[in-house]
Amino acid sequence: MAANKQTKLLAKRLFKLSFANGQLSAEQVAGVLGYIEKTAPHHPLALLKLYHRAVATEFAKSRAIVEHAGPINETALKSIEDAMTRRYRRPVTASALPNPKLLAGLRVRVGSDLYESTVAGQLTTLSFAV
Amino acid sequence: MLAEATTQAADAAAASGTTKILNDLGITKILTDFGISWPFFLAQVLNFCVVALILWRFAFKPILATLDLRQQKIADGLKYAAEMEAKLAATAQESAQLIKSAQLEAQKVVDEARKMAKDFADKQQGEANARAADILAKAQQAIELEHKKMLNEARGEIARLVVKTTEQVLAKKLSDADRAVFNDAATKELTVL
Repeated sequence: MAANKQTKLLAKRLFKLSFANGQLSAEQVAGVLGYIEKTAPHHPLALLKLYHRAVATEFAKSRAIVEHAGPINETALKSIEDAMTRRYRRPVTASALPNPKLLAGLRVRVGSDLYESTVAGQLTTLSFAV
Repeated sequence: MLAEATTQAADAAAASGTTKILNDLGITKILTDFGISWPFFLAQVLNFCVVALILWRFAFKPILATLDLRQQKIADGLKYAAEMEAKLAATAQESAQLIKSAQLEAQKVVDEARKMAKDFADKQQGEANARAADILAKAQQAIELEHKKMLNEARGEIARLVVKTTEQVLAKKLSDADRAVFNDAATKELTVL
């Protein structure tokens, strides 16, 4: 079901209502979802898809996924969190995700941005350079 | 009867002076001895003249004319034959000259044709050599490109194998301590961004 213009406009307004103090708020999001469930607007499925996409995109912007091979301590995660917060000028939370294919090193993904310092990446770069 | 006539003639002549002269010359005696009578003699002379005139007019003259015409024809034929012989000789000489000139011309044409054929063959040979050289150069270029492509593919394959082998070795050999050290270095590198 294709979303019409009114549904897109409503999804955009609901997304703006999901912020508290300039940050995405879980309580606000829960309230928006309750509102949708209660009022049952036209094209609810399309509206929920649009809203979910906007919230997921915004959530990814404030989340740094740190892929790692080998142990990583909380200090490192905190350092990365602080660095990304400074870089994007908004609160960014880091979460660790083990990935043995990296061999060693870290790969940080913030939204669609990717930062990498891994042995696997260096070997791939080397193979393309040869 | 002849004697009688002669006598009568003599008688008649005797009457004139002529008879006297004839008698003086002895002719009368001869005429008498031979039995010649003047009237018959004159008549025969006249007949002879008439016959001669007729023969001359209707026999000898046409025959002579025919002979002259035949002679003229023979002379003309001989003259024509001589002219024809001369013309034949001239024609033979002219023909020989024409044949000689034709042979020279033909030889010239043949030489020119041979020269043109040789030039054409040389030109074809040159073009064929140029085409062959071009084909050879293109083949060499294709071989070089293929060689470079093969080397690149081999290099890429070798690099891929080296990287894969290295990954497998590192996956087995790297300890957690090594990974922790590398992770700390990576953290410092990423936080400097």
